[in-house]
Amino acid sequence: MTQTCASRAAARPALIPVDIGHAVYAAVTDPDTAFWALVDKTRIQEEVSAGPLLNSYREKAESFAKELHALRFELTPSGVYLNPTERCNLNCTYCYLPGEQRSKGSHMSQDKLIASLARLRDYFRSVMPEGRKPRAIFHGAEPLMNKAAVFAAIDAFADDFAFGLQTNGTLLDDEAVAFLTSRNVSIGLSLDGPVAGITDATRQTWSGRSVHQQVLAAMDKLKGYGSWSVITTCTTENLPYLTQMVELFHAKEVPTCMLNTVRCTLPGARGVKPADADMAKAFFAAMDRTHALYRETGRKLMVANFANIVIGILAPTARRLMCDISPCGGGRAFFALAADGGLYPCSEFIGLPRFNGGNLHAAGGVEAALTSEAFRPVITRNVDQFSPCNGCAIRHFCGSPCPAEAAEMNGGMDKIGAFCDFYKEQVNYALRLIADGKANDYLWDGWDDDTETTFLMQ
Amino acid sequence: MTQIHNVPSSASAPNTTATATAPQEQPIAPTIAVRKSCNPDGIGLSHYVLMDKKAAK
Repeated sequence: MTQTCASRAAARPALIPVDIGHAVYAAVTDPDTAFWALVDKTRIQEEVSAGPLLNSYREKAESFAKELHALRFELTPSGVYLNPTERCNLNCTYCYLPGEQRSKGSHMSQDKLIASLARLRDYFRSVMPEGRKPRAIFHGAEPLMNKAAVFAAIDAFADDFAFGLQTNGTLLDDEAVAFLTSRNVSIGLSLDGPVAGITDATRQTWSGRSVHQQVLAAMDKLKGYGSWSVITTCTTENLPYLTQMVELFHAKEVPTCMLNTVRCTLPGARGVKPADADMAKAFFAAMDRTHALYRETGRKLMVANFANIVIGILAPTARRLMCDISPCGGGRAFFALAADGGLYPCSEFIGLPRFNGGNLHAAGGVEAALTSEAFRPVITRNVDQFSPCNGCAIRHFCGSPCPAEAAEMNGGMDKIGAFCDFYKEQVNYALRLIADGKANDYLWDGWDDDTETTFLMQ
Repeated sequence: MTQIHNVPSSASAPNTTATATAPQEQPIAPTIAVRKSCNPDGIGLSHYVLMDKKAAK
């Protein structure tokens, strides 16, 4: 980081009060460093003007500023999202990939996929420490439409990558499950409703056939496997059913799910976008239900997108998802490879040609893409530099996701993402859980095993 | 590591000589602040989740 930024943070750290809706506590934050504390709400002025909290924070402010700067600006990629095909057997309402690609697109050949992974392996070896594997995640459209190539690649590069696969689950037969689980591939599914009628509102085949039962069957096959998850995309169609969703997931012994707000990059998604207040009400009801289920059974259902908010508050560098940090992880922590060899900051941009940073197999490859003009708007999108985020006390717990939405829905990279108020409410909810000593109930056991405590008052 | 136990100042401590008719002051809630640090290696996004660092190793 620049000396100017470090000096500014160390010289005059200021704590900003935030009403989190708690009976006893208010939060105070320094947005520049993502520092926070919970203080007695009757003593906010005393805490922010002088005293042990401010004094202790001042001792740490410079190191926290450097830590956050390193997270935001000094990462090199350690993962790639691979699109081995443009095609998908489903036509989901909100997909971020153009329908023409998904219905009539091409597969990446097996030879091309193998050659791509060889180039990617060489790239990651050049930027990652020895002994640490990069992640390679096969991703949408529907990667199992090109199953033979995907499975050949997984076996060919078993020693070089930690593999994951995000699939709609409809092609996950017994053979595929056996192959993937025997190779410790992390598997993600998608399901939008607790019953077929709700799932069908947004996720169907091109001919309008329901796939709900097929996904439930895939979930049954994965029960007991250590590394699998299910994503629910929250829309106007399923919002009233989120509590039933988490009940279903808990009953099916899903270890981890995501209850994601619909990404509004393409127009189809905006037609099912819920209002922020409606999203918050349904989401927190579902979160409350996961907690009640944990207390009843002793078994957690991790809601990963919310867990990541909590972790981003408690340990900014331990966050696992890189959407809610600014700049986001696209083009910094990871990048995406399209089926035609094109490189994009994130899969979310594959339907937007102006974000194509070149071809993996062209001169310069990954390095050229990362420094390309196409990637620049994404990797330089900085919530410190545009309003209203630059005046927001929680901007580094949120990151104003997603740049693709900001650009396509709200008119530019210097605009907010699609769910600003919902993110504020999520942070308040997370801080209330911390105040009540419940935060660990929403995180997996051992989440902080590899962390060092650098500040503690309690 | 910085570890502080919040000690109320004399000015803000509960008044132990209050009369029986005065309303009872609430004790000051202790300040809570936690920050942990590690080497960042998150690569997840909203289309894919792998929360546990050890899961794919």
